Amino acid sequence: MTYNDRIFGILMIVLAVAYGWGTTQFPESFGGTEAVGPETFPRLLAIVLGLSSLYMVVRPDPDNAWPWSRTGIELIIAVVVLVLYSMLLQPLGFIISTTLAVGTLCWRMGSRPVKAYVTGAISGVVVYLVFNFALDLALPLGVLSFLEVG
Amino acid sequence: METLGFLMDGFGVALQPHNLMFALIGAFLGTLIGALPGLGPANGVAILIPLAFTLGLAPETAMIMLTSVYAGAMYGGRISSILLNIPGDEPAMMTCLDGYPMAQQGKASEALAISAVASFIGSLVATIGLILLAPLLAKFALTFGPAEYFALFLLAFATLGGITGKNPMKTVVAAAIGLMIATVGIDSTGVQRFTFGVLELYEGVDFIIAIVGLFAISELLFFIEEKAGGGKEKMKVNKLTLKWKDIRDILPSSFRGGVLGFIAGVLPGAGASLGSFIGYTLEKKVIGKKGYFGKGDPRGVAGPEAGNNGASSGALVPMLTLGVPGSGTTAVLLALLISLNITPGPLMFTQNADIVWGVIAALLIGNFLLLILNIPMVGIFVKLLSVPPMFLLPIVTMIAFVGIYSISNTTFDLYFMVAFGVAGYIFRKLEIPLVPIILGLLLGPEMEKNLRHAMDISDGDWTILWNSGLAIGLWVFAGLGLILPYIVGPMLRSRMKAAPDSGGPESD
Repeated sequence: MTYNDRIFGILMIVLAVAYGWGTTQFPESFGGTEAVGPETFPRLLAIVLGLSSLYMVVRPDPDNAWPWSRTGIELIIAVVVLVLYSMLLQPLGFIISTTLAVGTLCWRMGSRPVKAYVTGAISGVVVYLVFNFALDLALPLGVLSFLEVG
Repeated sequence: METLGFLMDGFGVALQPHNLMFALIGAFLGTLIGALPGLGPANGVAILIPLAFTLGLAPETAMIMLTSVYAGAMYGGRISSILLNIPGDEPAMMTCLDGYPMAQQGKASEALAISAVASFIGSLVATIGLILLAPLLAKFALTFGPAEYFALFLLAFATLGGITGKNPMKTVVAAAIGLMIATVGIDSTGVQRFTFGVLELYEGVDFIIAIVGLFAISELLFFIEEKAGGGKEKMKVNKLTLKWKDIRDILPSSFRGGVLGFIAGVLPGAGASLGSFIGYTLEKKVIGKKGYFGKGDPRGVAGPEAGNNGASSGALVPMLTLGVPGSGTTAVLLALLISLNITPGPLMFTQNADIVWGVIAALLIGNFLLLILNIPMVGIFVKLLSVPPMFLLPIVTMIAFVGIYSISNTTFDLYFMVAFGVAGYIFRKLEIPLVPIILGLLLGPEMEKNLRHAMDISDGDWTILWNSGLAIGLWVFAGLGLILPYIVGPMLRSRMKAAPDSGGPESD
């Protein structure tokens, strides 16, 4: 069965309708109504997306398998790591958060844990030094800020 | 002859020491990016853009560096094709056919050297073509009105999938999504659209964040899924014993490949993959029975390699003259131009002549640099090739994070990038192409502006959009771009499939 394209097509039709409805909610512009206002172009897009998505629903391509089970979990782990990395970059500082994020990713992609986190730490320190001293761009030090010189 | 004068000025820009240095850095990084599996040229250039920004490079320096990266990536793609039988990028696919057999026969370094020379000739031929054609096209493009531009943008989207594209409807879906994202923010008349009161959205979605997320982050997720973290065994590289005769033998193939590639690169909807494919098939036809194609014929390495490099320079023609890129990587270069506040298009040739001609001169110089880099230093690139993706991709991801973070120092952008990455993964799973999304993001504002302009001129009469011969022609070609893949596509694809399956990253 071919579900992927159908489901995605339906979602896109919903998006097209919602987006199209959104264009009716724009505040009135000052100059009164023009031939082409802020809503014209978006409405065209909504129509195009709606029709092309409809085509996907009617004539779907064969499915690509989704990675359920273990690989799926690995993917979710990776996304969680990336979100946590974004979240912790400022409070923990660049070096520590990079060690954790790059290390975990390397480890989950098949490296041995020790080697993975050492790679993470080295890359973090090197990039930090390059950015701070060679390129003169400040990356956050976070909890390591006591190391800051001058 | 004024072209020559401009070119000389261009050399003046490109030969300034710091520009030369950044060209060298770019060429080196580009070769690296092209060689490493899992880091296509579009991806690589995208990651480097925020860095070029935060370094505060002058516009021409930034453009020169990233164009060198682009040229270098086309050189680098061949290294893993020859040594590992894995194309570093899609256009390098045809190089596998004879390059890998050559390596198996213990002639890896000959194959690498021949392909470097062929790449050089291909690029050189195409760069000369670019110098001759671009000013003419730019002059012609000055006659375009808003209606013609609107039709031209449609043409760009319609042909983006290429005539080998699988499902043109998915290109349309992708383009619509990209254009929709581009409408977020405050429009030219000051009306807020789809901002939902979120302050960060008032200025719209930064396309650099979208590009890096869509390419770099989704690539990481793909590698995790394929469990390809361990890397492949690598081929031993022998000592180079290349004679002058060997080079002379491949010269005709390289020239033919370069010319064909250039044409394929300039035409909308063809691109570098088709360039190398045609380069290879032509060589097979011309040489005929005398060759031993598929079993390690050097001419089978030279033809497609020259073709793919020719096409990549050719693809710069529509990007520089019309502001309409024909491939993923040129779209990313366009992103750089727009964010440098340079309006791409025909006016660029007069208003920013130093940049345009500096870039063109840098292409020529970059070519020589790349040839010099690639023959003696191939050993270094081969060593780096053996870095397994399980270390490489997390580090590349981290560099993407650093780049995006350093643009505005906010965490919000990082979340946004991760979200685009997840979306990019889903799109690729559904075989929805990413490049039209990016092109939509880039061209959206211009497209709407031209539509409004045209309507203002005609006082609301929609027929202005197809009122001139030129506009009608563009509409017809756009239509063909969507219909032809259904007819020609299956045929061409099956012939390209006869070549080994490519697992390379998308985009050319």
